[in-house]
Amino acid sequence: MNDMRLTERAVTEKAKMSARKVQVYYGSNHALKDVDVDILDKTVTAFIGPSGCGKSTFLRCLNRMNDTVASARVEGKIEMDGHDIYDTRVDPVQLRAKVGMVFQKPNPFPKSIYDNVAYGPKIHGLTRSKAELDEVVETSLRKAALWNEVKDRLNAPGTGLSGGQQQRLCIARAVATGPEVLLMDEPCSALDPIATAQVEELIDELRSQFSVVIVTHSMQQAARVSQRTAFFHLGYLVEYGETGTIFTNPSDPRTESYITGRIG
Amino acid sequence: MVTTHILSAFDRDLEAVQAHVMRMGGLVEAALLDAAEALDNRDEELALRVRNGDRAIDALELEIQTECARLIALRAPAASDLRTVLTVMRIAAALERAGDYAKNLAKRTAVLSQMQPLEGATGSVKRMARAVVVLLKDALDAYIARDAVSAEDVRRRDHDVDQMYNALFRELLTHMLEDPRNITAAMHLHFIAKNIERVGDHATGIAEQVIYLVTGAMPSDERPKAEVVQGAGGRG
Repeated sequence: MNDMRLTERAVTEKAKMSARKVQVYYGSNHALKDVDVDILDKTVTAFIGPSGCGKSTFLRCLNRMNDTVASARVEGKIEMDGHDIYDTRVDPVQLRAKVGMVFQKPNPFPKSIYDNVAYGPKIHGLTRSKAELDEVVETSLRKAALWNEVKDRLNAPGTGLSGGQQQRLCIARAVATGPEVLLMDEPCSALDPIATAQVEELIDELRSQFSVVIVTHSMQQAARVSQRTAFFHLGYLVEYGETGTIFTNPSDPRTESYITGRIG
Repeated sequence: MVTTHILSAFDRDLEAVQAHVMRMGGLVEAALLDAAEALDNRDEELALRVRNGDRAIDALELEIQTECARLIALRAPAASDLRTVLTVMRIAAALERAGDYAKNLAKRTAVLSQMQPLEGATGSVKRMARAVVVLLKDALDAYIARDAVSAEDVRRRDHDVDQMYNALFRELLTHMLEDPRNITAAMHLHFIAKNIERVGDHATGIAEQVIYLVTGAMPSDERPKAEVVQGAGGRG
């Protein structure tokens, strides 16, 4: 009983993704400079920093979402399990099944709840039969803590759910392809406090299965859900470390200023 | 603590830090009883164990304070959660002091066991230590049960410990008046008695924290105090 907190804090030191000397340019704008970071396996990592600091840009490098931005250019090396994800042989669509993403605003497809979750497994050919697909849909909805609320109306449109439920539906959709890393870009900023708490609890549960990387404007959210925190400022990764240390005794004065509300 | 938080990790954090406080309470209670036993039996080995054991109590206090700082920084506790964290910090500090008194008792035991024993005095000290440990235990039980009524009872019962102290004070004074060669031992025993009496005050302090935790306000009434003996001065 006494070691409960210690278990809580214990994370693996095994890196799931590692970035070295990552630079991102949008045209002539050097948006991200020399970012080195290891995203640990089965750990929640939070990226914090003021607007325009590069945290979302970096998040989008991790599943090559920046490929879709014409003016963006990414340099440096990002590896997942030792394999370069920017290798020309890597199919970005396959990569994104492994490195899923959830966005700021819940964006369910204008389809049924069932089809929203089934979509990924279908296009990636992950299931062979209807029964298998049903099972993936149910497990994914359970993992997203949504099953009990929607099991009787799987054919209802996903857009008819409440905001918090829609966001959990999007998480179920991302979970359905069996990701190894889940990226979340401000997943709670459109949600009320209770729905936020539910999503945060969900993030804490998902951590037992894969890594979660979350970009958040709420420092309290970063403090609550993550085990590792990275602070970005003006395109630099200023400080990266254990969340408790970052929030009680950061080593860089810029981190201290930001988390205490002195710079933004 | 009736209902659980949506974010269950918050509950685990709060429970863990309180479990640490209870463990600390157990160590302090054992240290006080062992120290009193060692004094009464002139058991220097046991006294040494109590002295060394204080390190574990201090380490636990440091850990609790660090955990609480993390909890405040990471979870931004509000209302009863905030009071829980604040009271945990104060209770840990009170227990740490009580542990120091047990250690001091054990130190004086090493000196006293080289001297002529004062008849009956160490037995009285042991009884007083037992009474104080019961008080401490009840205060911590009231804390876990969030029981302000029991806590109020602990506050009242500290009066009994004060009376035991006053009786022991008279007893020691008599020994000193009878034979000046008793003065050194009696002085040591008096410090011991005073320290145990202070542990009682810390138990009362913990009980007050329970009342604050449950009601949100510190008890405002003055706690009943036993008359101080023959100009011996008040507490502290």
